[in-house]
Amino acid sequence: MEQFFTQLTNGLAVGGIYALIALGYTMVYGILKLINFAHGDLFTIGAYLGLTLLASLALTDTVGAVAGLLVLAVMVMGLVGVIGILLDRAAYKPLRTSPRLSAVVSALGASIVFSNTIMLVYGPSPRVYPQGLLPTHVLDVFGLSIPVMRLVILTTSLVLMVGLYIFIQKTRTGTAIRAAAIDQDAARLMGINVDRVIMLVFFIGPALGGAAGLMVGLHYGQINFTMGWLYGLKAFTAAILGGIGNIPGAMVGGLLLGVIESMGAAYISNAWKDAIAFFVLILILIVRPTGLLGERVAEKI
Amino acid sequence: MKKILLLLVAASLFWAGPVFSSDTIRIGLMCPLTGSWASEGQDMRRIVELLADEINEQGGILGKTVEVVVADDGGDPRTAATAAQRLVQRDVVGVIGTYGSSITEASQNIYAATGTLQIANGSTSVRLSEKGLPYFFRTCPRDDEQGRVAVETMLADGHDKIAILHDSTTYARGLADEARALIDASAAEVVFFDALTPGEQDYTTILTQIRGNNPDVVFFTGYYPEAGMLLRQKLEMGLDTPFIGGDANNNPDLVKIAGARAGAGFRFLSPPVPGDLPSPEAKAFLDAYNEAYGQAPGSIWAVLAGDGFRVLAKAIEETGSTDTDTIADYLKNGLSEFPGLTGTIDFDDKGDRIGDVYRVYEVDDEGRFVLQM
Repeated sequence: MEQFFTQLTNGLAVGGIYALIALGYTMVYGILKLINFAHGDLFTIGAYLGLTLLASLALTDTVGAVAGLLVLAVMVMGLVGVIGILLDRAAYKPLRTSPRLSAVVSALGASIVFSNTIMLVYGPSPRVYPQGLLPTHVLDVFGLSIPVMRLVILTTSLVLMVGLYIFIQKTRTGTAIRAAAIDQDAARLMGINVDRVIMLVFFIGPALGGAAGLMVGLHYGQINFTMGWLYGLKAFTAAILGGIGNIPGAMVGGLLLGVIESMGAAYISNAWKDAIAFFVLILILIVRPTGLLGERVAEKI
Repeated sequence: MKKILLLLVAASLFWAGPVFSSDTIRIGLMCPLTGSWASEGQDMRRIVELLADEINEQGGILGKTVEVVVADDGGDPRTAATAAQRLVQRDVVGVIGTYGSSITEASQNIYAATGTLQIANGSTSVRLSEKGLPYFFRTCPRDDEQGRVAVETMLADGHDKIAILHDSTTYARGLADEARALIDASAAEVVFFDALTPGEQDYTTILTQIRGNNPDVVFFTGYYPEAGMLLRQKLEMGLDTPFIGGDANNNPDLVKIAGARAGAGFRFLSPPVPGDLPSPEAKAFLDAYNEAYGQAPGSIWAVLAGDGFRVLAKAIEETGSTDTDTIADYLKNGLSEFPGLTGTIDFDDKGDRIGDVYRVYEVDDEGRFVLQM
């Protein structure tokens, strides 16, 4: 039983990261019906930018650890968000009226450009975050030993996700995003600046991905230029699982995928972990073709 | 008309290459310049190019300039197949490489079918040389040897509940199977045998499971990036079971990833690391490398690619031929106690390297790799 709960927390921590990345996929899909395959690499860029800023600004020495990390997170999110907007301008906007397949190919190309650029700038070897920045205490909760950082990661992911949800549901801008997702032409007729909405989506999604990258770097320490591929794939799966285009769906999908993975690994087989996760995905899609919380039928891509 | 003329010019330029190339000897290098083993591959290229420059400065081989043709295998079997085809089309005498066993395996048949000599440098999987391919060689030892040394080391330490963890690659799975068979035949038992997914960041699930099985020691047969993460997360979880690793952990990045505190006490098997190489050739080479690149070579595997290049150059020189059969025959029967960078080199009939056994290394408190015996 103890092992079960330990594995549950392991799964939730990984799932929180998946969920944050999945939000980027799902938001872009919701607006443009485009799978942004370069999103996983934006996550990697977040991890690398975090490392560069951490090393060059020494924020944690000047303003203290907590404030320093918060400032760092804001800077990384902002920068990755801007890169997201530039990505849209360079790779997707010129193809807005082209067939959707062209944009998908462009996304794959952008992904390759990003990951190779990171390799050329930072080198092919794995890079390592400085150690000793974060607390390494282990909490004792009902007989379970849970590292504090697992809770911090999960909480941060949840706060970011809930913040996004409130933003989308309760603000005027959020309403505009939802409107543009439903029907761009109608939204335009209602006086919504759809181009600005798309820009905003390409800022928020990558910013969250960048935050996830920073968290992975801070917590796991090691980052490499290929890590965006695996995380991107898992997060994409999570977005489908929850119903792509649906924001709460991406959150649920991410957390669920993390838990399925760790439970499958713990009680069936580690080697078959991914196979089990994808098998569950197929089962869910058979029963609910739109994903767990999806409303619209996901169109073929 | 103009167009046709242009085409003709273009065509003549295109065909000019092979005409001039009769003055050069082309040697292929297939290595992972990108992908997660990119640091190994880039080091392989540096070393082979350095050695080729040295040979060219001394007048080349048989009076011809050596040209190294590099192809990136990406550490990926599919990319490797393309890379192999590209090298074969460039008319190389032989190919050095590559690092991962599953990558080498994907290219083996392409080289065999086109009669191209291949000298792998880091592919230790047993079955690569059990296929009876006449032109396959390797400068690294085999996993059955490695498995034997690993199991002997663990048994000598008095461990009798052993966990084995691999990563499903040809190499890691092969080594894990070797070790399991040897442990089953001994008094000890295997209490855990499973695979992780390489490239992930979070291995706490598998570590939690290992803790549940309560082994005396864990034998990890995979590669250094994952080993580094395992050691780091094992420390965070407060799991103090000792880990012993296979030879793919012999890379300084291991300690960078794990951190010195988590890395301390980790042991792994390996042929001697570059700094511990005994021969005068090795000293000269390490100095030359240092001068050219301002640092020491990272791992032994890239140096073994250098040895592959040197034996191939030696074979061409001695036989005066670039014919694959002649060279292969010389390497198997003619070459004797060749002074390699990593010790003396001889090949048996399967193309495997004879002699030179594995050593045990331990990571000390400051993250240095210390030779144990």
